[in-house]
Amino acid sequence: MLVLKNVTKAYDKSKRAVDNISLEIKKGEIIGFIGPNGAGKTTTIKMITGILSPTEGSIIINGVDISKAPVKAKKNFTYVPDHPAIFDAIKGIDYLNFIADMYEVSLKDRRKKIERFTKAFQIYDALPKTINSYSHGMRQKLLLSGALLPNPNLFILDEPLVGLDPHSAKILKDLMREHCENGGTIFFSSHVLEVVENLCHRVAIINKGKLVACDKLETIKKNKNITLEEVFLEMTKNE
Amino acid sequence: MNKFISLTKIQVFDFFSKYTQHLNLNNRWLKKLAILIPVLLIIPAFNLALSIYKVFSSIGIPELTITYMYIGNVMMIFFACIPLIISNFFYSKDLMFIASLPLKEESIIFSKLASVYLYLLAIACLFFGTAVIAYGIIGGIQPLPLIIGIIALIMSPLIPMLLATLVIIPFMSIIAGGKRRNLMAIGGNILLLMLILLIQITLTRVEIDPEGFTNLMLQEDGLLKLIGRGFPPSIWLTKMIQGSFLYGGLFILLHIILLYALKLMSHFLYNRALMSFNQSDGGVISNNNIYYKSRSRGFQLIKRHILIIFSNPVFTLNTVLTMLVPILMFIIMSFTGQLNNEIFRSEAIAPYLIYLYAGIVTTPAIIGNLSATVITREGKTFWETRVLPITTAENIRYRVYSTLIISFIGSIILALAAAAYLPISLDMMGIGLLFCITATLLFSTIDIAINIERPILNWTSPTTAVKNNLNVMISLVVRLVIGGAFYILYGLMPNYSGHTILLIYSLISIVLFIAVYYVITRWYIDKFDSIIY
Repeated sequence: MLVLKNVTKAYDKSKRAVDNISLEIKKGEIIGFIGPNGAGKTTTIKMITGILSPTEGSIIINGVDISKAPVKAKKNFTYVPDHPAIFDAIKGIDYLNFIADMYEVSLKDRRKKIERFTKAFQIYDALPKTINSYSHGMRQKLLLSGALLPNPNLFILDEPLVGLDPHSAKILKDLMREHCENGGTIFFSSHVLEVVENLCHRVAIINKGKLVACDKLETIKKNKNITLEEVFLEMTKNE
Repeated sequence: MNKFISLTKIQVFDFFSKYTQHLNLNNRWLKKLAILIPVLLIIPAFNLALSIYKVFSSIGIPELTITYMYIGNVMMIFFACIPLIISNFFYSKDLMFIASLPLKEESIIFSKLASVYLYLLAIACLFFGTAVIAYGIIGGIQPLPLIIGIIALIMSPLIPMLLATLVIIPFMSIIAGGKRRNLMAIGGNILLLMLILLIQITLTRVEIDPEGFTNLMLQEDGLLKLIGRGFPPSIWLTKMIQGSFLYGGLFILLHIILLYALKLMSHFLYNRALMSFNQSDGGVISNNNIYYKSRSRGFQLIKRHILIIFSNPVFTLNTVLTMLVPILMFIIMSFTGQLNNEIFRSEAIAPYLIYLYAGIVTTPAIIGNLSATVITREGKTFWETRVLPITTAENIRYRVYSTLIISFIGSIILALAAAAYLPISLDMMGIGLLFCITATLLFSTIDIAINIERPILNWTSPTTAVKNNLNVMISLVVRLVIGGAFYILYGLMPNYSGHTILLIYSLISIVLFIAVYYVITRWYIDKFDSIIY
């Protein structure tokens, strides 16, 4: 579903934000992407979503190279960034209709899904209100509802749990599992290692722009009785 | 460092840093030259000051240049500072942070005004500064008037800025909790600007009875009193530059009184206006109307870009004011009788009517330059359209369409108003509109290229996005260059009628538009895709 081949992002000759990353994610997988602050997680995600172009390498989404056929590639995924910065002078329902139109979701489908997701996240009653009156968490939930609306093949989330209350975090985790059971794929970054440990089929660890591990949790732990936190701290410690 | 100075410094840095950011020039000398682009405006400003100086010198009263330019300067600063104060005080994103700092309320008010003041001082340097230089140097260097003139120049933005602050902030406190406060802010401030224009025009047209007029003119400085009677500080300033301690004292005292008034009111302004405005939730509209409606992508994207302008009072004020000020001036001057049909029906004006009409209807495209900030206005929400399944060409195209729609609406309003007022024929209207369409297409397309080159998405105050922004200056320089080329062309075709010349201009504009559009759709796609937010 998602293939990264030798992807590099260099802002100047001396500094590589992402350094020669290769990664393959299969259909139906949930992959957790972890790393310290400034390791290159968001840059990698921005390259996958087409917001940034890689300096080297290629990114293939469902068989489509995003740099060669961006529109076709973008129809395969939706994205929720690490900050809920969205145009907020419109109502919540305007935003969801906007997203539905962009991904050509039929009227029947959008009604059903909007009601389902927004009721699950408890923001349905706030939909007629302008987004600038929403709290940080409500905006995050609106973004998540919008991203789930087109039922994307690939769901890309950057720090999706930040700002969510425990109830909504639980709902999101359930929806992520359900999405994968229905054949969807999820690639998400997080600092909450317990969630990554409990939710993901595989974990990718990035440090200083390089992928230092990408495997099943047990393999990364080398079958030792240690937590992901201990593995993470060991792999990302400063030399 | 003193808290106030430290806060002011950071406010000023934030306000001006955006101006020089993202120049996208690798050569440091080119960078410096680019920063100096606005200084080019000094050429027309100095020409204006010089011609006024010559007129007043010819009647032996050159100091009236100071009076005249000071009054004009005050008006201009009133216009510039109203949207600026609203943006800096009510729509900047730093107030909640500043409010948590251990600072006096007056420090916050004055530090915010400091960045406004510096911006206004730059405007004053162009217009009033050139008058001071013309007066102090041309007739032989006069050190004392020159030094006092420079002091007056430094003080010149204060009166309009302080008066505007004392009026706007309480007004905003009244509408702070209202449901339609953004609309109220726009409407209220347009009314305020109209009021200022009306007062100025009315004052300059106050009829004086013949006896009073004769008495006034018989006085030593009768003409000075006549010109400055609507705004006495202009008289005091002129006399101060001439060396009068008394009037200099009066001029300085007025400033001290206004500053003290603001200091006294700072507690009220901070608590009742600033904080209450920022604490309310922005006028939530709740009608329990959840609808499901399908629209085309183009419609949705155009709607988004138009709403970005009209949902933000600073963007709206900037758009409406720059495009429709000719209408405001036109209406007020008609009411006060300064403009009438007779002027436009005169034989002397007849050959130029078609140019006048074409110029009026093209004003929104010439002054509006909305495309030059169409990406910038999106700010941190720019990422939204970047991840949508639309092509980059569509992403750029719908931005231009949204600005074209606004420009054309402005042009249609101006076209109807001007057609109702000016004695023009249908063919003149047709050619004027043709020129307007071609020029609007050309300028909008050039402007989007400017914005792709310099996107500037990280701004804290909306004014930085649409006004304090080198993009706007560059787009004005482009207009200046094209306008200059058209003027030279006009000089080369002395025997052609206005109809033919405007048709030639339209043809050139459309050819240039096609060329620029080709360049954008071929070469600017990658640049747009590489914009980092």
